[in-house]
Amino acid sequence: MPLERRFSLAGKKTMVIGAETPAGGAIARAYAEAGADVALCALTADDAVMRARAVKRDIEAMGRKATEYVMDVTLGKNVQVTTRQIAKELGGLDAVASAPDLFLAKPIGKTTDMELARVLAMNFSSQFFVVRTAAEEFRRAGRPGRIVLVSSILHERGMMDVAAYSAAHGAVAGLVRAAGHELAHENITVNAIALGWMDWMDDRLSPGDENAGRARRFPMLHRLGRAEDVGPLALLLSGEASAPYITGQVLAVDGGVTQHQ
Amino acid sequence: MIEDLALDGKAVVITGGSHGIGRAIALACASAGAGIVIAARGQERIDATVATIREAGGRAIGLATDVTDRAQVEALVEGCVREYGKIDAMFAHAGGSAGGLNSDKPFWEFPDEAYEAAILGNLTSSFYTCRAAARAMVAQGTGGSIVVTATAGALRASQRWSYGTAKGGVTAMTKMLSGRLGPQGIRCNCLIPGMIWTNEDPTEQERAVSDQRGVFTPAGRVGVPADFGALGVYLASDASSYVTGQQFLVDGGMVNGGVAPPFYKPHHEI
Repeated sequence: MPLERRFSLAGKKTMVIGAETPAGGAIARAYAEAGADVALCALTADDAVMRARAVKRDIEAMGRKATEYVMDVTLGKNVQVTTRQIAKELGGLDAVASAPDLFLAKPIGKTTDMELARVLAMNFSSQFFVVRTAAEEFRRAGRPGRIVLVSSILHERGMMDVAAYSAAHGAVAGLVRAAGHELAHENITVNAIALGWMDWMDDRLSPGDENAGRARRFPMLHRLGRAEDVGPLALLLSGEASAPYITGQVLAVDGGVTQHQ
Repeated sequence: MIEDLALDGKAVVITGGSHGIGRAIALACASAGAGIVIAARGQERIDATVATIREAGGRAIGLATDVTDRAQVEALVEGCVREYGKIDAMFAHAGGSAGGLNSDKPFWEFPDEAYEAAILGNLTSSFYTCRAAARAMVAQGTGGSIVVTATAGALRASQRWSYGTAKGGVTAMTKMLSGRLGPQGIRCNCLIPGMIWTNEDPTEQERAVSDQRGVFTPAGRVGVPADFGALGVYLASDASSYVTGQQFLVDGGMVNGGVAPPFYKPHHEI
């Protein structure tokens, strides 16, 4: 099989949730580059829409079709209704990537019920809704489907003051393994990309903090991750021909930081 | 429940049992009632450990053993059976990275001799030890507990090319044994020490180094041999009879972190 065909998304209908985030944007661009039409869902109706629009312009410049939506991923019904609309307007759905991200740095004792609920809703429940709805769409069409969830290496690692966030991503990892198993017989694969320290993560690696500077040196490859590091793996996991036998996996794009000791 | 942790009437062998972690496990198992066999290379330290156990009212013998020699390992197990009538637990703890195994050369220039010595002293020796113990446990029909020591260093990237590779093999071996020896009533688990300070009488300078390293574990200190005593008793006892194929990390939380300095606190509110 020629290389282009192996990684091709030509004619495929794809959806990227959190398209305004650096990881989501990179995945959307990768999908378009591989020939897919892409529905871009911004997570909030504020300047996120403008950032998603920049991705849209890039995709249109590649000669692919891009449409934009706002999706409140904290509401299962909204994920379902918007996805239905997208599948109708695109004329199908073959792959869904989802990259919501809400970081919180707080000691356990200071984390309020509301904060815990928000962190779990944005980082985990949203991904559950995406899997549930995407599987429903793939099932409706009777076609194979690909689901890629963007998660964090903190799903398997601890550090100070990230208990809520870490737990939410631990839940995503559990979801990926169970959903990968449950949906495999329908030819639907579910995988996650666990991000390490990425160059946009000033929220968790404050540039002014000396110890954050140390953490930045932990990746084996001695640099922070970039958005374009995420696209190729998402593409691999999203093609019909490229990874039909990979499912239930949480794969790190972290420059080897989880190999640090 | 607590009576399940008693080791009265059990026979426990510890290779590398005359020093550090192995010695701590030996002392703990002896105080829990087990008859102990201390295996190590140096007779002097064996005698000292055996004497310590006996002085405390415990039962112990010492057998000088080079675990890289198959015949000596088999003689060790036979020695345990001769003394106590059986073998209930084997701690394949002997191993190490001393003696030129940690060549400071880059990987692409790493010498064969250093690689082979580490494999022999850590992986092959553990294989011999487990095999001899399993054979005796199957023959006596009662099963038993096999515990092999790896190292947290092998779970992550390090420059201990040969030692880390050998210990990685050890963790894989315990999984295989646990999967296949269950029907014979043999369980096999892996003990994984983190940064452990085995020097019992450190100089001022050594203590400063250990304090400094301790900062890099979430627990805020390096481990000491005594941290392994209770776990050793548990793994040798009937209390762990349904536990197999597990990795027991004793590392103060070190391996669980590793993505940032343990004391680093991010700042971000929502």
